Amino acid sequence: MSYFFQLVVSGIVVGSIYALSGLGFVLIYKSSRVLNIAHGQIIAIGAFITYALTVWVGLPIYVSFPMSMIITFFLAMSVERVFLRRLIGEPIISVIMVTIGLMSILDGLIYLTPFGTENFSFPPFLPTTPIAIGGVSISWTQMLGVTVTFSLIAGFSWFFKKSTIGISMRAVSDDQLASMSIGISVPRVFGLAWAMAGLSAAAAGGIIGNITGLNFDTLQAFGIVVFPVVILGGLDSILGAVVAGIIMGLIQQFASGYLDGNWGLNGTGEVLPYIILLVILLFKPHGLFGIHEIERV
Amino acid sequence: MSANRWLATGNYFTSYREEQRIFFTSLDKTAMLLFILALFAWPLFFHVGNKYMLVVDNILVAVIAVMGLNLVTGFAGLISIGHAAFVGIGAYTIASFASVLGANHILLTHAWPLMIFIAGCMGALFGALVGLPALRLKHLYLAIATLSFQMIFQWVINFMNFFNQGQTISIDRVVWFTGQVSRREHYLFWYYAILVVIVITGFAVRNLLRTRYGRCLVAVRDNDRAADAMGMHPGLTKVYAFGLAGFLAGVAGALHAFLYRGVGIESFTLHHSINYLAMAIVGGLGTLNGSFWGPFVIQVLDLQVERLSEWAGAHLTFAANLATALKPLSFGLVIVLFLMFEPRGIANWWRITRSYVKLWPFRY
Repeated sequence: MSYFFQLVVSGIVVGSIYALSGLGFVLIYKSSRVLNIAHGQIIAIGAFITYALTVWVGLPIYVSFPMSMIITFFLAMSVERVFLRRLIGEPIISVIMVTIGLMSILDGLIYLTPFGTENFSFPPFLPTTPIAIGGVSISWTQMLGVTVTFSLIAGFSWFFKKSTIGISMRAVSDDQLASMSIGISVPRVFGLAWAMAGLSAAAAGGIIGNITGLNFDTLQAFGIVVFPVVILGGLDSILGAVVAGIIMGLIQQFASGYLDGNWGLNGTGEVLPYIILLVILLFKPHGLFGIHEIERV
Repeated sequence: MSANRWLATGNYFTSYREEQRIFFTSLDKTAMLLFILALFAWPLFFHVGNKYMLVVDNILVAVIAVMGLNLVTGFAGLISIGHAAFVGIGAYTIASFASVLGANHILLTHAWPLMIFIAGCMGALFGALVGLPALRLKHLYLAIATLSFQMIFQWVINFMNFFNQGQTISIDRVVWFTGQVSRREHYLFWYYAILVVIVITGFAVRNLLRTRYGRCLVAVRDNDRAADAMGMHPGLTKVYAFGLAGFLAGVAGALHAFLYRGVGIESFTLHHSINYLAMAIVGGLGTLNGSFWGPFVIQVLDLQVERLSEWAGAHLTFAANLATALKPLSFGLVIVLFLMFEPRGIANWWRITRSYVKLWPFRY
């Protein structure tokens, strides 16, 4: 039984990171209908900036972590300004391809730094002995990571529910023309959505980096796993992204905990999200919380 | 109809039949024939080393794959981020035959045209299966569906012992009328084989686009509701577009397998899917000649960047990662710049040049 609870705990840890990455992804999609394929790269960049500030500059982590979030905030905003602002109103395929091109460019830029090929790990700043409760153990870093993730998600939800900017962002996602007519600058909201996505991505990257260490391939993979998460939750639902992130983390952990090694299966945790994705697309394409707006033509 | 069949100065069509012709003037037809002839003849006059012949062969294989992608993405307007997986299905069909029957079984060495066809059919089957969500879904969701197919494909190959866990499964050299193709002539032989396939598929696709089935694709892309009202079945059309694309991809995969005499997962990853998409976009989506320009330009660019990064790696020792960095960087820049400044691709430049030459000395 403690094996089961161990899987639940690690599932929630992984799932909360998925939730945070999925949140940023959904933010961009919700406001501007752009499928951001370069999300994994932004997560990686956030993680690398955190590392550079912590180890190379020598700042304490509780300063460097928010700082990297702010830097990535502006970075993502400028990405939107340079690459995507020009393509507003272009066909969807151009926009998707631009994010793919962006992914390549960011890949290239990351390979220019040592982070592209080498592995790094954060210096431990918390006690390294894990907390053990009744046979279930969780490390301090994971604990802190989950806490930070959930407080960030709570912060984001407050932001969208209550603050003026958040409300204007929701208005734009609802109806661009109407929000323009009441004086909301739609392009600026797009930029802000990207910036917020960058912020959450940097946070996710920093937390992943602290839990598993920095490896470009692992970090970048989060940008692809985010697809099943957001489809399960519904492409335009922030609540959906959070819930689906946790579900996906649990599914992955259970799959690799119970299926791997039996019946000659291996690495099922990697593939199960995509199989679920295809099944959802076939039977319930708007996901758990998405808006039913799919036309059947 | 203009009296001059060689140099038409304008459109004088009096029937739809005339407008649907492949070659508008006899000049077009002659030029095309001469061009194809030149493609077949040039290896006789210039001797190219195997290294460069392989590059040429690679371009041609990519042309077939991109033609398929262009059908589904350019003409039918459905984004496919999993095209390399379909190419991989074709290649792994050949590989499965090789690992079940043995690499030098008579089916593989003698009946290879049949094998290529079977690989194409497998590709079509999987294409249609993955396209099934198209019955209910539109653009973005489909892109994600193809992406997830790509990931599932990679996983299946990487974790199944039958497929050698993604390691190379070798295939023997094929037999032609003159006996088994020798090591020296392998790439030349496949140059001709792939060229024949390209000519056939090129004309087939061109013809398809003239028929109702081809125009159906374009109609569904432009406005699926209107297409529905006109009596087409948009969902089925999309599935069928995926099937067609899968067929061409499967053929390309089989050719790739025979060309490299082996199949490994490293040629069919997500990265390659993106590469195919980039080729289609740089060439020009929704144009047939774009499928020829795109692979050519991207492969040549790849080669040049490789050379540049080799040079840079030798001279600038401090930038050890420069070689790995330049490739994605240049690739991404090409995609983004094309999308921003020439979304219609190189095919558009070709169109402009053509009409300039045709109308010269007049401006329009």
